[in-house]
Amino acid sequence: MLHRYEALMLAVPEVTQDEARSIEAAIEKAVKDNKGGFISFERWGKFRLAYPVQKNEYGVYFLTRFEAPEGSNVLDEVRLLFSIKLHNIVMRSVLNRLADEGSLEYQRPKSVEESPTRDVKTFLKENKMEGLLSSVDRKEAGRDFEPRRKPAHVEGEAMELDEDLGFDEDTEDEE
Amino acid sequence: MTKKIKLKISARLAKKKMRRSKFTGKKHCRFCGNEDHIREIDFKNATFLRSFMTERSKILPSRISGNCAQHQRGLARAIREARTMALLPYVTQYF
Repeated sequence: MLHRYEALMLAVPEVTQDEARSIEAAIEKAVKDNKGGFISFERWGKFRLAYPVQKNEYGVYFLTRFEAPEGSNVLDEVRLLFSIKLHNIVMRSVLNRLADEGSLEYQRPKSVEESPTRDVKTFLKENKMEGLLSSVDRKEAGRDFEPRRKPAHVEGEAMELDEDLGFDEDTEDEE
Repeated sequence: MTKKIKLKISARLAKKKMRRSKFTGKKHCRFCGNEDHIREIDFKNATFLRSFMTERSKILPSRISGNCAQHQRGLARAIREARTMALLPYVTQYF
């Protein structure tokens, strides 16, 4: 009698495609050694986590599903895999048993890559408001990068005066 | 002669109960007898579970959401499982 299981794992945000493939291969090998069947391996994408995990604000989720015969030690092997071999890639993992029959459909939240950005620039581009954007940008940029005005004669006087007096003069000029 | 028995219910509470029954009927569990909704109670479906939490991300009591005890249990378990996988927050400090 085969039972269905699923494992959701939370990987570090820097996980590469090769590492993802190695995770898939390792789980598939563990399942097939125990006379089970491998169903699926999905990458959900990058997510902003609800709270930082191991000082990471973002994470990548992977969902895998497989079948295994009753009483086999696949689950122990997969758990060991997550905690020992892949401990520096997989931050959190959970293993669940699914209903033996029925559809495998499920719903999941949208990842960072799928959800629309709330950036001002993209909003203006979508609504074709380019003129407004450029005028705002120029003004803000000008304020930041404008050099501070200092009359030439102040520097010369400060050289002659003591340090304390020179500091006072500078503040007055700024006001 | 038998003494008259006086029921001790405060006037405020009686009025409150009357008001409740007048305007709002009994709340119904939205999952009972609806298989499409039961399927949505899943720890992966975080956006749906979010609607059963307060804005400080506490679990809403069944007194407010109107769920029956059985489905409230399943819902609370799903929320707790989603929290361990960082799909839902334990607490929202700033909102």
